[in-house]
Amino acid sequence: MTDERDPKVSRRYRELGAEEPPTELDAEILAVSRRAAETRLAPLVPPTGRRRWYFPVAAAAIITLAVAVTVHVERQQPDAESITPAPPSTPESRTDALEAKKDSAPQAELRKAKPAKPPAASAPAPALRAADTARNMEQPEPQARSAPDAQVTGLAMRRAERGAVEEAPERILERIAELRRQGKQDEADKALAEFRRRYPDYRIAEEMLKKVERP
Amino acid sequence: MEAPDEQLMLAYRDGNAAAFETLYLRHRGRLFRFVLRSVKSRATAEELFQEIWMRVIEARERYAPQARFTTWLYTIAHHRMVDHWRRGGLSLVELDDQDPPGDSPDPARQLEARQALARFAQALQALPVAQREAFLLHEEAGLSIAEIAAATGSNAEAAKSRLRYAVAKLKAAVEDD
Repeated sequence: MTDERDPKVSRRYRELGAEEPPTELDAEILAVSRRAAETRLAPLVPPTGRRRWYFPVAAAAIITLAVAVTVHVERQQPDAESITPAPPSTPESRTDALEAKKDSAPQAELRKAKPAKPPAASAPAPALRAADTARNMEQPEPQARSAPDAQVTGLAMRRAERGAVEEAPERILERIAELRRQGKQDEADKALAEFRRRYPDYRIAEEMLKKVERP
Repeated sequence: MEAPDEQLMLAYRDGNAAAFETLYLRHRGRLFRFVLRSVKSRATAEELFQEIWMRVIEARERYAPQARFTTWLYTIAHHRMVDHWRRGGLSLVELDDQDPPGDSPDPARQLEARQALARFAQALQALPVAQREAFLLHEEAGLSIAEIAAATGSNAEAAKSRLRYAVAKLKAAVEDD
């Protein structure tokens, strides 16, 4: 290796001091590293150990629920159309109608934010994506509007509605920040890790970085 | 014989937290000084230092030893520092007990040495960002020119040129004493 050092310069540089980080900072970083070692990303193959059962059970539950609700939604379509103001007869408008029946503040805000999207794909597709906690946050899902968002649990509803639009990285980061504020550190860790996997070159603004990284 | 960095990082990738601790203790000082010499305050240095390690932890799943671990580590550090530099303004952390220039009438040898050191620190501060970074990566982190080029996304000629300019300027500052 070519050494471009000058001995006098190197000596003077060393005289600047051998500063080291504070021990509290060491402890924090090492604590995070240990937690991270225990928290693996949603694997493509089943994990070993005590979390082995979690992913397939969660996936099965969400798929079952999504299929059931989708079937129910499709059966309910004439009722929905009769209640709402005459919209164009598209899957998207049926979804809006169902949402009007169940109108709540968070849902109303999300509806306002959603742009028009093509007709929905079949229900199992968004459900399968929703089954993967980490992957689902970034997957572009423009066709998932008719996902069973009217009657699923709050978490699945948010996932399905997120699937309706292509999410900008900034929105994903905002959601991770929200998880942090809610104290859902493990969830936020997973989501952030997946974000970094999906967007390895994305430079997170410093302000946002403080919100999304584990304190 | 101690395990090489790359092996430790792979072990950590596979869930071995103790491997990371060994790796961290091995590199924490140099990385901290690299960051410290590049920013305005120690608080900022500590914050950036922590963020860099967070990125290392987050990136563990993608780690593959295609280069030295040190090169990979300082590539991550470089990206984080570039983000910081883009927000504008950086200078060396002032020496804790440095007297402001012209404020110290004491001609003692110790004071002269401190002032000489302060001049060197200021000369380091005055370097263009890329030159200072090249110098710190070489001097503090022990990276070769090729590794500096890899870490900073430049080529070997540019890295070599920056390093030479940096050393030449710092040498002039030292020889002024």
